[in-house]
Amino acid sequence: MATRRAFLSGLAALALPKPGWAAVGSPHCLAAGKTAERYVLHGLSADGQSLFAVDLPGRGHAAAAHPHRPLAVAFARRPGTFAIVLDCLTGAEQHHLTPPAGRQFNGHGVFSADGSLLYTSEVIAETSQGRIGIWETAGFQRIGEWSSGGIGPHDLKRQSDGGLIVANGGIATDPADRSKLNIATMRPNLTRLSPEGDITAQAELPPALWQNSIRHLALAPDGTVAFAMQWEGDPAEPVPLLGLWQVGAPPQLCPPPEAEAFRMQGYAGSVAISASGRIALTSPRGGVVTIHAQDGTHLATHARADVCGVTALGAGFLLSDGSGALWSLDDRQLSPLTRGDTAWDNHIVPLT
Amino acid sequence: MLKRLTLMLALLTSPVHADVADVVADHILPGYAAFAQATADLDLQAAASCDPDTLRPAFQTAFDAWMAVQHLHLGPVEEAGRGLAIVFWPDPKGLGRKAQLALVQGDPAKLTPEAFADQSVAARGLTGLERLLYPTGPWPADTCPLIRATAADLARLAAEVQGGWTSGFADQLLTAGAPGNTRYLSEAEARQALFTVLVTGLAQLHDQRLGRPMGTFDRPTPERAEAVASGRSLRNVRLSLQALRALTESLTEAAPLTQAALDHAVTLTETLNDPVFAGTATPSGRLKVEVLQQAVEQARLAVLAEIGPALGVGLGFNALDGD
Repeated sequence: MATRRAFLSGLAALALPKPGWAAVGSPHCLAAGKTAERYVLHGLSADGQSLFAVDLPGRGHAAAAHPHRPLAVAFARRPGTFAIVLDCLTGAEQHHLTPPAGRQFNGHGVFSADGSLLYTSEVIAETSQGRIGIWETAGFQRIGEWSSGGIGPHDLKRQSDGGLIVANGGIATDPADRSKLNIATMRPNLTRLSPEGDITAQAELPPALWQNSIRHLALAPDGTVAFAMQWEGDPAEPVPLLGLWQVGAPPQLCPPPEAEAFRMQGYAGSVAISASGRIALTSPRGGVVTIHAQDGTHLATHARADVCGVTALGAGFLLSDGSGALWSLDDRQLSPLTRGDTAWDNHIVPLT
Repeated sequence: MLKRLTLMLALLTSPVHADVADVVADHILPGYAAFAQATADLDLQAAASCDPDTLRPAFQTAFDAWMAVQHLHLGPVEEAGRGLAIVFWPDPKGLGRKAQLALVQGDPAKLTPEAFADQSVAARGLTGLERLLYPTGPWPADTCPLIRATAADLARLAAEVQGGWTSGFADQLLTAGAPGNTRYLSEAEARQALFTVLVTGLAQLHDQRLGRPMGTFDRPTPERAEAVASGRSLRNVRLSLQALRALTESLTEAAPLTQAALDHAVTLTETLNDPVFAGTATPSGRLKVEVLQQAVEQARLAVLAEIGPALGVGLGFNALDGD
């Protein structure tokens, strides 16, 4: 049945021009949130206006945006047993993705550059061994999987050459809830997969930082990977929460200045790189966003409660918080763009 | 029934701004003014004498004044590392002592007010002074210049925090939601900021001031208690609880369960005869501290259940989520 539907939709694709993102107002980015008791996914303009909103069945974590068609895949919070493909034009749930038996989605996913494939971060539920699920996007059937190269993969990003960068957070979780099972022995890594799924590079942190879970990623145009971490060790230790990785080289850590060392409370929630090469790192726990130069040097800290979502906006950034505000950010200041009654969720997903 | 009636009366009689305005006027500004005064006194005395015995009472008074405001993790104290430079604890790697050892034996030019303000936050403040006024072993050189520099720097920090509040930050909190206020976009956000301070303060008491010396049942770690040398570990817990109770009182009248829970915890600190939590080394002594820790957790749960709804706010959507 699914195959037949895929076949028919394939035929339709040949016959009719498919609508693109322009059909839904050419959003700058997507952001999920909660309005009263409803969970929604919004398309946002660069000035923070909602261009469309579609309902989600529950609280999401992150989404993946199709590069051309107005399709978004919303992932459940980990450990997730479903992801849904939403038609942003109609709001219809086009497909409901279920990982194979014994696998769980782990919060993030990304499309291939041509949109023909969707990659999903997953774990084998019993062991938290990481997998990258591969789905074709005509009918969203599962067509394969790769090893992610580590335990507990979370974010993943696509490189310009089609390779994937995966943040293997290192944390094994109980398959039934989110309790962490291996904090004493965790060992996160960054892994680069070729377009064919071969592991071509990996990088680990120094042993003293193995309890620093690598969770979120941003890619610069020159290929630099910025990674955001969450510290599972003693909160009294001032550890870096931002790192940079030139694929193939050891990762470079970017410690904050001493006076700023505890403002993030050991927890970075999202990271983004702007067109000018600035890096923004958010901490909803600490209620701050920091801005860094291209080499990771700390430039500024701005306070905003529960700020988490961040994506590039020209030379600066667009940010979201849990109180319903969207902000623009440059080195000097945070400026409110809009404020509404949607509590914005962890991440903003750029359309690229 | 009576409780509900009290609650309704409280809601009817409180002007909209009363909660935040009361906290600023009755709790925050007087607290920072007292801390600035106490550290100015300490600075003055240090200029006159470096004798630890002479300075200890003023040090204790300044630390008491800090405990009345130390939970206020917002605004000027969060900027430029001021809060860390006032008290740097916990310091599991002993960064403060190492930095101070370098300073007492190093270039005296580093002790001028301008240069000292740039020294490690771990070396400065009340924690730095405590190591100098209550030494656990001999220092390798004369500590008098460092005592004076630290006392002067502490007074400067306290004055800056107070000035930051009176010359801008208090207004930002009080004009939450007004056009042009980009720090607090609504009155609810200002209430939420104070609510977060309250919840975080109780969590910090639970996890740090009590949790660190408790360690685990099999391996208690009394040496990790706060301000052991000056004998303030338990006193800091009591003063912190009293400060959080005062904050609660100013924040809302509709919190009888929270007040009762905080009162209970304060009472436990008054009967717990274990000033630096050395008792955590024994099972029965640790149990007593654990009872206090549970009382603090009960107070935190009461705040979440009672004050959050009363103020119409909760903890952060993302801060709580964690992913």
